[in-house]
Amino acid sequence: MNVMQQVEAAVTQTAPKISAKAVDVFYGDTHAIKAVDVEIADKMVTAFIGPSGCGKSTFLRCLNRMNDTIDSARVTGRIDLDGEDIYAPRVDPVQLRAKVGMVFQKPNPFPKSIYDNVAYGPRIHGLARDKSDLDAIVEKSLRRAALWEEVKDRLTAPGTGLSGGQQQRLCIARAIATGPEVLLMDEPCSALDPIATAQVEQLIDELRSRFCVVIVTHSMAQASRVSQKTAFFHLGELVEFDDTDRIFTNPGDHRTESYITGRIG
Amino acid sequence: MEHQSHILHAFDRDLESIQANIMKMGGLVEAAIAQAATALETQDADLAQSVRAGDKAIDALEQQVNEEAARILALRQPIAGDLRTVLTVFRLSGSLERMGDYAKNIAKRTGVLMAMAPINGSAKSLRRMARQVELMLKDALDAYIQRDAGLAADVRTRDVEVDQMYTALFREYLTFMMEDPRNITACMHLHFIAKNIERMGDHVTTIAEEVIYLVEGAYPDDDREKGDRTTQGTGNAR
Amino acid sequence: MTPAKSLLAADPRTRARNRAEARFRALGLGAVLLGLGALVLLVGTILANGAGAFRQTYLTIPVTLDADRLDPAGTRDPADMAAVTTFGYAPLLAQALQQHLRQRGVAMEGIGPRDLMAIISQEAPAQIRAMVLQNPDLLDRTLELEMLAGGRIDGYFKGRVTLQSAERDANVSPAQLVLAQAMADAGMIETRFNWAFLTGSDASGQRPEAAGLGVAILGSLYMMLVVLVLALPIGVAAAVYLEEFAPKNRLTDVIEVNISNLAAVPSIVFGILGLAIFINFAGLPQSAPVVGGLVLTLMTLPTIIIATRAALRAVPPSIRAAALGLGASKMQSVFHHVLPLAAPGILTGTIIGLAQALGETAPLLLIGMVAFVRDFPAAPPEGLFDPASALPVQVYNWTQRADPAFVERAAGATLVLLGLLVTMNLIAVMLRRRFERRW
Repeated sequence: MNVMQQVEAAVTQTAPKISAKAVDVFYGDTHAIKAVDVEIADKMVTAFIGPSGCGKSTFLRCLNRMNDTIDSARVTGRIDLDGEDIYAPRVDPVQLRAKVGMVFQKPNPFPKSIYDNVAYGPRIHGLARDKSDLDAIVEKSLRRAALWEEVKDRLTAPGTGLSGGQQQRLCIARAIATGPEVLLMDEPCSALDPIATAQVEQLIDELRSRFCVVIVTHSMAQASRVSQKTAFFHLGELVEFDDTDRIFTNPGDHRTESYITGRIG
Repeated sequence: MEHQSHILHAFDRDLESIQANIMKMGGLVEAAIAQAATALETQDADLAQSVRAGDKAIDALEQQVNEEAARILALRQPIAGDLRTVLTVFRLSGSLERMGDYAKNIAKRTGVLMAMAPINGSAKSLRRMARQVELMLKDALDAYIQRDAGLAADVRTRDVEVDQMYTALFREYLTFMMEDPRNITACMHLHFIAKNIERMGDHVTTIAEEVIYLVEGAYPDDDREKGDRTTQGTGNAR
Repeated sequence: MTPAKSLLAADPRTRARNRAEARFRALGLGAVLLGLGALVLLVGTILANGAGAFRQTYLTIPVTLDADRLDPAGTRDPADMAAVTTFGYAPLLAQALQQHLRQRGVAMEGIGPRDLMAIISQEAPAQIRAMVLQNPDLLDRTLELEMLAGGRIDGYFKGRVTLQSAERDANVSPAQLVLAQAMADAGMIETRFNWAFLTGSDASGQRPEAAGLGVAILGSLYMMLVVLVLALPIGVAAAVYLEEFAPKNRLTDVIEVNISNLAAVPSIVFGILGLAIFINFAGLPQSAPVVGGLVLTLMTLPTIIIATRAALRAVPPSIRAAALGLGASKMQSVFHHVLPLAAPGILTGTIIGLAQALGETAPLLLIGMVAFVRDFPAAPPEGLFDPASALPVQVYNWTQRADPAFVERAAGATLVLLGLLVTMNLIAVMLRRRFERRW
């Protein structure tokens, strides 16, 4: 193992950041997620892979309670963030989503300036006392998203005027501006060209030193490049969850092997 | 060729790691060859023993390199130059591990030879041959790390001298054995040592060819001179 | 194996299909031309009838404002001078005209003094009187005053009245027309653009030449103001609630269906409603813009609600998801992001709704706006309760009057109404184009 891998192995020893137990999700009568148990570690990238409709995006959306916006969705079981049940009645989803940020499949910057895009989150959560505070937060977020050098001279330009890869990095900057501890990414690169994808993957690699990152991807190559732990979902079940190395060199479950070698869809 | 880094830095780190391990293996093998030859020349039993023990490290490194290279294939899906880099790492580690085994074998036989009467001049010739192979290996590894196809081609041509030295020693040992049957055991061992060194030279040639494949994308034509004349009629005494 | 067909040989199926397509295109073009033709005919007719309303005949003569006759008390006080009515001013003007004609040597055979006065509009004395009362310093001065020519004289210069028709006409004689022509030749009478048509108030049936749209335009404007102030906030709020916050159950469906139905209710029903509730029950004054505005608000509300909902739906859900994902509450995501992005659509819908309301006549008739209103309503908010008229109602009113000159006026008013509608719709289209977003 090289040095990086040794560090990663050491990290897993500490308590998990997110821990899910016996989680079921129903859309009306459809049983979308079946009894999933998983522990997601901090300062690490965990990938969810699986064929279309296997429930990986649904499960991801449970982690920041975005499924609440869908009327027919019902979630049972327990999901803890730092040991606190996020579905407890006292928990306000709005507060949860400040702690657990989300980046979506298609880059969706607001039709405002780049500055206002990044500043929106801190503004509504009251994270900045004055303008200079806000400026500092915006700059820090853009730097961390590897976008500062490219946009520092045009912060007032509209966010929608950037290229696809830049827009997605802007969305990442926007998400990390609220100071979350967890970053959820739902197929963040599927709308991007290969170079932009590589840039975002490199960014994710840098982000994992600060955040717990969970990424849903339909590209197994991306999961193998970017993640340290991989969870394979199939038909709503969590089939296998292990180190990425092991999943891609010698998976334990035959279904996992069938999927990643392209024998089942 | 300028070296551009991958957008995903981890990929570069992984490739550097396996290549660094190859160089480490190469260094250990170079040292093993030199020490084995020195032990033979100076009849140093402790040195020979340390060569035999040191082969474990070489074997362990080979396994580690192979595992890491397999991991890179699975996780990074390298193509083009990156794929050739990983493939040549597999073959280089194999060749280096075999060379390490030969060095160990030489050290083993040195232990046996020390118990017998020395044959004059044999150790010196063998030392010279081993030195030649050692230099070839050093140049081959330099060519590898610097991606220098010209140097690798040059290394290929020098193997003919090693072969010629082997042919000469073969005839010499035959003569010794025919002169005095008591020499036969010692000469057999010496011959095996010479053969091992000659095989090591062939492996270095393989390494050089891999370097050319790595740099140019195709193996060199198989028209290098071969100097092993032992299968061409040696004028044996029948 | 069938031999391969050459691309250069015409396939009968393809040719039949092409012919059918050509036929269909010809039919479509024919339909478009038919519609266009009808439109051109309609607009052309109205233009031909109404263009004349924008020009008016005036005569300019020097008049001595004799202080002895106009201000017998000699106080120069408007309150006292008001005692002299138009009956005092009319003879003054007639004399001035007679004098001037003699001076200029224009022949006056067969014209008695009363006939002479008929050349001047009956409205003129009132206008001169108002001018003098406002500015008593004008007394005892001789001024070149411009006054309206009589209705039939105006009709003569516009071609409505001819020497033949004047023989049968009780209000004008051929001799007067000849005199008028002579005066025009002498430069005392001219026909020029008539601003008073747009700014003046309505006039009685005898004086079509003085009738103007000022009160009607102001009344319509006030009503539009009421509609804007009421319908826009209520409609947008209702639409936002229905679209974003209402639970998706049967009750919401029922409400949605009923709103769509409201848009199809005949407008006269709203008039009856307005009469019953606003005038009879709430006791608001009849013929007031506020009542008209309230009724039109009810009519425009469904349009605005539907347009707003469409605009809200057009905002992609990814924007809402992004806002929610950052930890915004539902209200914050709607007010910070969805509404600003839907604003152009809402604006367009509002303008179209307003344009529709501008042209509505039936409900206004029922709440009494058909009355003859002479005085301008005051400034809002008090002016909203003064009686006023409305443009479409004014058109209806004028078509009911006997004098054929009012036909021209009505057509002219229609042109003004059409012009306003086209302008508002153009603004709506321009706004939509300007703010259209490509997601």
